[in-house]
Amino acid sequence: MSARRLPDGGRIDRAEALRFTWDGAELTGHPGDTLASALLAGGVQLIGRSFKYHRPRGVMSAGVEESGALVTVAGAGDGARRDPNVKATVQELYAGLAAAGQNAWPNVRFDLGAAANRLSRFLPAGFYYKTFMGPRIKGGTTVWMLCEKFIRRAAGMGAASRLPDPDQYEHAHAFCDVLVVGGGPAGLAAAATAARAGLDVLLVEQDFQLGGDLLNQPLADAGELLAEMLDDARSAGVRAMTRTTAFGLYDGCVAGLIERVTDHLADPAPFLPRQRFWTVRARRIIVAAGALERHFAFGNNDRPGVMGAAAARAYLNRYAVLPGERIVVATNNDSAYPVAGELAAAGAAVEVLDARPADRVRQLAQQAGARGITVRPHCAPLRAVGARRVKALEVAMEEGGRWRHGGRQACDAVLVSGGWSPAIHLISHLGGKPRWNRRLACFTADANGESLLTAGAAAAIWDTGACRVSGQAAGAAAARALGKDAPGIAMPAPGGWRSPIRPLYEVRVPGAHLKSMVDPLNDVTADDVRLAHREGFTSVEHLKRYTTLGMSADGGKMGNVIGLALMAEALGRASDGDGGDGADPDIAAVGATTFRPPYTPVALGALRGRSVGGHFRPLRRTPMHQWNLERGAVMTIAGLWERPWYYPRHGETLDQAYIREAATVRESVGLCDVTSLGKIAVQGPDAAAFLDRIYTNRFAHLPVGKARYGIMLRDDGLVLDDGTTWRLSETDYFMTTTTAHAATVMAWLEELLQVRWPALRVHVASVSDQWAGCAVAGPKSHRVLSACADSPEALTDHALPFMGVGRMSLGGGIPCRIARISFSGELAYEVYAPSDYATAMMDALWAAAEAAGGCLYGLEALGALRIEKGHVTGAELDGRVTLDDAGLGRMAAKGKAFIGSTLRARPELQREDRPKLVGIRPKDRAARFNAGAILCRPGQLSGLGEGWVTAVTHSPALGHWIGIGFIRGGEAAWRGQSAVAADPVRAAPVEVDIISPHMFDPDGARMRG
Amino acid sequence: MAELTRISALHGHADARRLGAGAGAPGVILGEIGGLRLRQIAAWPDCIDAVGAMAAAAAGVDAAPGPGRAVESMAADSAAPACALLRVEPLKWWLLGRPAGPLNIDAEQGAVVDLSHSRAHIRIRGPRAAEYLNRHLPLDLREASFTEGAVASSVLHHVGVTLWRSGRNYELFIPRGYALSVWEVLLQTAAQFDAEVIPPAAEGGGE
Repeated sequence: MSARRLPDGGRIDRAEALRFTWDGAELTGHPGDTLASALLAGGVQLIGRSFKYHRPRGVMSAGVEESGALVTVAGAGDGARRDPNVKATVQELYAGLAAAGQNAWPNVRFDLGAAANRLSRFLPAGFYYKTFMGPRIKGGTTVWMLCEKFIRRAAGMGAASRLPDPDQYEHAHAFCDVLVVGGGPAGLAAAATAARAGLDVLLVEQDFQLGGDLLNQPLADAGELLAEMLDDARSAGVRAMTRTTAFGLYDGCVAGLIERVTDHLADPAPFLPRQRFWTVRARRIIVAAGALERHFAFGNNDRPGVMGAAAARAYLNRYAVLPGERIVVATNNDSAYPVAGELAAAGAAVEVLDARPADRVRQLAQQAGARGITVRPHCAPLRAVGARRVKALEVAMEEGGRWRHGGRQACDAVLVSGGWSPAIHLISHLGGKPRWNRRLACFTADANGESLLTAGAAAAIWDTGACRVSGQAAGAAAARALGKDAPGIAMPAPGGWRSPIRPLYEVRVPGAHLKSMVDPLNDVTADDVRLAHREGFTSVEHLKRYTTLGMSADGGKMGNVIGLALMAEALGRASDGDGGDGADPDIAAVGATTFRPPYTPVALGALRGRSVGGHFRPLRRTPMHQWNLERGAVMTIAGLWERPWYYPRHGETLDQAYIREAATVRESVGLCDVTSLGKIAVQGPDAAAFLDRIYTNRFAHLPVGKARYGIMLRDDGLVLDDGTTWRLSETDYFMTTTTAHAATVMAWLEELLQVRWPALRVHVASVSDQWAGCAVAGPKSHRVLSACADSPEALTDHALPFMGVGRMSLGGGIPCRIARISFSGELAYEVYAPSDYATAMMDALWAAAEAAGGCLYGLEALGALRIEKGHVTGAELDGRVTLDDAGLGRMAAKGKAFIGSTLRARPELQREDRPKLVGIRPKDRAARFNAGAILCRPGQLSGLGEGWVTAVTHSPALGHWIGIGFIRGGEAAWRGQSAVAADPVRAAPVEVDIISPHMFDPDGARMRG
Repeated sequence: MAELTRISALHGHADARRLGAGAGAPGVILGEIGGLRLRQIAAWPDCIDAVGAMAAAAAGVDAAPGPGRAVESMAADSAAPACALLRVEPLKWWLLGRPAGPLNIDAEQGAVVDLSHSRAHIRIRGPRAAEYLNRHLPLDLREASFTEGAVASSVLHHVGVTLWRSGRNYELFIPRGYALSVWEVLLQTAAQFDAEVIPPAAEGGGE
């Protein structure tokens, strides 16, 4: 026999049937079922194959600690929606759910990979380290390496889809006075108490129903209490979130939650996120996360049919699934007895093996006997028998402090309760150290008692009534701490069993070869722990990494304590027993690994939220964006900006288009969207003094109505940024920065004013978004502007000389700022209009420019023009460059201090052989070379070379490829010598001349008009 | 001269529509408010009171608001707000709308800069507006915390934004260059709230 659904009872909705498939076979469950309960009800016991040995696995728990029933849930469609390693024990059932076994071929029932189990003695802990990371032995290891990929493929868990995740995820923020983690009796009581005191309480529960352990108790016993507690919390105004896991706690009372929004829905609305990542900021947090039942290590303790006793209680009472007809319950504590009684009442034949001596279990045994249950003290399971599911159990009996064979017992289910581990993970996240409580045989952790409180089984309180009181105590304490009236309620003491637990972690007898799982998820056996000890990996941290104990999807919830106990035993660290129980491994002396977030796995999609695809980062568009697109612009990403790259005509390629555009600018006129330049309003009586301090050159005496090119250094004397600053009035400047450094410069100026020079009466404000900019460049630029200016006389040489600044209106009233400045080396202007008028400005300018035979030009042509002129940008000003390196040493004013003026004089920055800005052209003018190439001496194409190429272009003006870059000593050091542009990955080396960076119109006659 | 037409950052992207299931009353109503008039007023530390008083006079309110607060004046002929003054930084206010009086702040007292074209203005209201905004904003928008007249700077999809609660409306100001990107993300989230996008309104419209 296997598990079966009982004819009545449970918290499922029998009125509705949910059809689902398991490995292609159709089964039926009910609302309120998990996938695990529905599979058990459908008679499916073999659900998974283990990670390494492909051992058959069934349902081992009823919660997030599940190590056996890991499945892959597939969505409809092309396979993109495939979720591996889903714990069937927490997957809510829905109509149409399609689940399948994983890590098995052809299926979990008949898995060829199971051969690995027969080879398990050759696959011990550390197998990979020993096999694949040893010294290379000629020939032999190479063959081994070929085997590695096959061996690796044989091991593992479910496979993720390789298609993009089709689901959407989102982030959300919440605030509350008290966050209560856990919706069991303690959590519900804590939440209601705090809410009644007038606090805003948020209660989160990972399950799809509130109630915690009350859901697992018989409806007749706990139903009324649960209904009352739910009603109390609701009427107190508690905000409750189910299907939500608090996966991590962080400093400042911040919690991370994952809400599963649609994972339980058959047909979710397309606009709903699959999961929601919450950041909750609370003033107090109460951890009432319950406790996890442990097993103990015995032979084949991972066979389908072996599960936790409390899990069996959940299946029986919550899901109305009887896990077997002939059941052995193995325990070392009191908590298994109610389960045994309820199973017997449901019709199963139940026998209890209690590891404790007869005198400690006498009363429990009498009560059990009244229900027809046999209790065998001094007994424990030794080995489960059965190939794919449990058919019998070999029993161990203790005599004189030693275990020996105690016969064989036919059964179809073995339920194990090896003690309880409070879920202290969240407390540990905030630094609460796990402390071993020997009396209760579990780790507890001290909440800090201020912002963090704990209640219920998470505080090792085992009794339901006491859990409720502890919740009330914690809720009241939080309320008082936050200034509310609340009664002082004494916190119940940990514990609550009538007969103390007997610490027991492994059962074995001399001479028996047992495969006893410590951490079934990772196939870590008791022998593996002992092997790690023999090989010297005795620290818990080493033990974990050597054996993988406690890693992966369950994070050690099932096996960690057992592993620690076995290590303590191996190390010979035992504390005194308490009454003839034999040696009690001193786990406290071994210590524990640190719990870190997340408590349960979090999908990467939930971490990224909506920052994916085109919204991976915010996109910045200029006010002319649509206008540019409508005129054929091909866009490119420049930082966060989307900018016109080139404007192809009649199927032009990029090269054809930019060369035409650059040539048109030199011959006629071009318009370029330069909105992305940073723009900063610098205002105040001390603005001139401020600019004098941040720029290397002088600004104090810049006349109103003029602009000046300036360079800023960092404190260390290296170049930060460059740009022009316009003086609009005595106290009002308009600064432009490079696109790349706009935000950096803004933050830098704010920092200087707020931290270094707070006495300066200067305000800076970013006006980058206020103004849309267009460069009008070329010999006909004046004509174009005059054609669309409302008052052309504002553009005369007298009114607007080179580097002059003015206000004008264009196209019938568009108010603009204009400066006669040039980046292209031509007669040129920069015109700025308020952003909402950008398209009107462009319409006016383009009408005139098009009539003059002009063009629109993009970033590529802009680059070509500036490279011809040797003008630097972010590609050159990369944080390693001094003024002198960039050939701008003359920009450093003498006789004034400015940021960087002292440290730029360091000998290292003044060395003659520093890399300096140069122009580069191929000796063979027909050759081309790439940006990023390394400049080397001929015949010495190795190492770091002598310099590097920062930018290249085909120069329409010169008729061949040119570049700029840096080379040791600069142009003077290379006069008469050639260099080689080495680009070994992409192209053949090209012999080049090192020349002045000012390759076109070096004296600037064209620019001055 | 005819008044120039302003083309906002969301032009062509903020048309009226229903999002989500589209049944019943919308949980969130959002729409663009065009024609932003925004001047930033900054004071030197020793002139904060004097500049605040001048800003308040220009806005037509009794006194300038303190940090994190805003005050509004009503137009004489309408119940709609005419002007609002928001304290956006310790030394700075935003003057929104058409000033009731002149704003003549001397350079010795402070500085004024026009930012009317620097932001997109989105108005969000509806019974679930705060919940919706908290899908993006790490601000405590609970009724008792973010009361009417509250102002905060925050971050939305990595972009620095300003949020002001005016009555039942949340007024969101997004730097213009990022506005469309942020708007697209806002719409993605809005569907689950059965949101209604209302047509772009001129300054001061809406509730």
